Amino acid sequence: MSDLQKNNSVSVLEVSNLNKKFDRLQVLENISFNVKKGEVVAIIGPSGSGKTTLLRCAAMLEKADGGTLSVGGVPVMTDGEYAGKTVLKAGRRKCGMVFQAFNLFPHMSVLENITDAPVHVAGVPKSEAVREANKLLSDMGLLEHASSYPCELSGGQQQRVAIARALALHPEILFFDEPTSALDPELTKEVLHVIRALAEEDMTMVIVTHEMDFAEMVADRIIFVADGKVVEEGAAGDLINNPVNERTKAFIAGLKGE
Amino acid sequence: MKQTVFLFILMLLLFGGAGAAADSRTFTVGFDANFPPYGYVEKGEYRGFDLDLAREVARRRGWKIVLKPINWEAKDSELKSGMIDCIWNGFTINGREHSYTWSDPYVVNEQVVMVKKDSPVVKLTDLKGRKVAVQTDTPVMKALQPGGERYQDLGKKLKELVIAPDYNNAVMMLESGSVDAVAMDVGVAKTKLSGGFRLLDEIVMKENYGIGFRKGDIRLRDEVQNTLLEMVADGSAAKISALYFEGKNVVAIGQIQAIDESGKNSESNKDELIHTVCELGKGLLVSMLIFALTLVFALPLGLVIAAGRMSRNFVLRSFFKIFISVMRGTPLMLQLLIWFFGPYYLFGIQLSKLSFCGIDYRFIAVIIGFSLNYAAYFAEIYRAGIGSIPAGQYEAATVLGYSGWQTFRRIIFPQVIKRILPPVTNEVITLVKDTSLAFSLAVLEMFTIAKQIASATSSMMPFVVAGVFYYVFNFLVASAMAALEKKLNYYR
Repeated sequence: MSDLQKNNSVSVLEVSNLNKKFDRLQVLENISFNVKKGEVVAIIGPSGSGKTTLLRCAAMLEKADGGTLSVGGVPVMTDGEYAGKTVLKAGRRKCGMVFQAFNLFPHMSVLENITDAPVHVAGVPKSEAVREANKLLSDMGLLEHASSYPCELSGGQQQRVAIARALALHPEILFFDEPTSALDPELTKEVLHVIRALAEEDMTMVIVTHEMDFAEMVADRIIFVADGKVVEEGAAGDLINNPVNERTKAFIAGLKGE
Repeated sequence: MKQTVFLFILMLLLFGGAGAAADSRTFTVGFDANFPPYGYVEKGEYRGFDLDLAREVARRRGWKIVLKPINWEAKDSELKSGMIDCIWNGFTINGREHSYTWSDPYVVNEQVVMVKKDSPVVKLTDLKGRKVAVQTDTPVMKALQPGGERYQDLGKKLKELVIAPDYNNAVMMLESGSVDAVAMDVGVAKTKLSGGFRLLDEIVMKENYGIGFRKGDIRLRDEVQNTLLEMVADGSAAKISALYFEGKNVVAIGQIQAIDESGKNSESNKDELIHTVCELGKGLLVSMLIFALTLVFALPLGLVIAAGRMSRNFVLRSFFKIFISVMRGTPLMLQLLIWFFGPYYLFGIQLSKLSFCGIDYRFIAVIIGFSLNYAAYFAEIYRAGIGSIPAGQYEAATVLGYSGWQTFRRIIFPQVIKRILPPVTNEVITLVKDTSLAFSLAVLEMFTIAKQIASATSSMMPFVVAGVFYYVFNFLVASAMAALEKKLNYYR
């Protein structure tokens, strides 16, 4: 898909005027952005800026206090009002999520981790779910670990299983919450490699990350969030190399200086 | 000067000490403080016919008297170990002739049958097919049990002989309708008549009361007995009796034929051991049944209570919080008594008379009491286990579309089981030992039977055997739990 095609295609995620408070603290303030089909968007920003909360609201893990949210064409929230249970369930089926701490189910084998939800939630026949899981594992280079338990795998392997688990439900959009922050540097590479491969297959993804080089390489667009607001938004190369806003400049300079 | 003071003090100490030594011979009387009018507690003081006699003997002898209430089942250990000097407490000689050095019998006592005033029972033969309660380890219990002197013509014909831990418990059973009669000591029975009871004219048996001394302690026996004879001669014994028996003199020392101590216990040690093991084996089955049924009910119930305790509904949450607090904050034995006697004393419902599908309400009350009590403990263990599962597990399940129930059933609960196994094992092992509390409702489990055999044979051996049984039982339980833990060890 060319950039032009991406721009013309439908939005998989639409966020407008999203607000979120924790008690009195305004964590997100009037955030708006869209993600088109096949697009990869990276969200960057200083810690405490609200970027993870933004991702969790979009992935419906956290309830926002106001705004409009639509996932995969499903109107999850309209002007601060969440839709009914069935609609929320439909919206949830559209998104997948990969966590910083992997959150694999420790009592299930790698294969069970991937097949359990398709079989018991989506009603996919077991043999089909297993076949698909094996294909995902083989794509990730983890086929030999199918019957291992999460505790027997390295962090990088666990995170790749977590990605496979999310993909097994065929989400229209995949959210990543700092997917490499819990990993040793040498294990980061294998995970980034997988995400890059997904980008090449035109998987729609929103990634909260600290990895600037990676964001520049894999993302079509980067959103810089600070103090709960979108400060700057632009094509990946532009935002990193020629930031306009002073805060963006300072943030990127700080990271590069490290 | 200083030296003079020092010497003075030294002399004081020496002579004072010597004087105290002469006076300090103590006479320690062991008694059951639940046995009116012979020995009981009133307004925080020990009173009773036997205690007054003992006090007077000590006074005349210049001894310092120590009244020591004892656990009736432990009376032999107390005596043999020298913790007490004698058992003086409406203590029946019959059947225990060879276990103690006895005084001459001083009271002839009758074992009578007490029924409710409106009971149709008039004669002993009317007891046929009815439930009769007795206190554990009493002569009347032995008389009515197989091999006892009244077994063939009376004990055998009863529907059930219910063995209560003490007189009060037996009388409560009569009052609440769970038994039809209580066979008991006439002196005690008379103190209970005001509760709406009457005695049958026929008596079950006569027996002699004596003072039991350590086997071979003839010197002390003679000292006490001689003083007691003096008290009879000068009429002071009769005065004490009048205080407790409506003016009557029940003291009959010297008028009753003294007992024969010549015989020897005929049962050999080997037979005794086999008998003990068999009897305890039967008790063990009852203990295991209580154990198994409690787990079957308490483990799932605990989960329900934990759910209620963690509910978002304030009323529900508060209710279960209070429930757990009460269950954990009061003795299980008290709870058992409440489940059994409560329906009658609180609401006048005679549940205790009923049986369901042939199971006595007595046993059902034990299972209810144990299940609810253990469920409260299990609930808190579940709650801790559920709370220890990281939020990320719930989040991952939510994003994958699991419903609330599926999340619990497929993701959370399997992990909870693994985490709570060690504390659950603790509770389960405690439960094995707690089964002995069933005795408070006269359910004959192993420890109760051990106590009975021990007191009947004046031997510690039944306790040793019971201890071995409990240990083996618990060893198997602990091994099973360890195996389960190992099985769940495939993940961290």
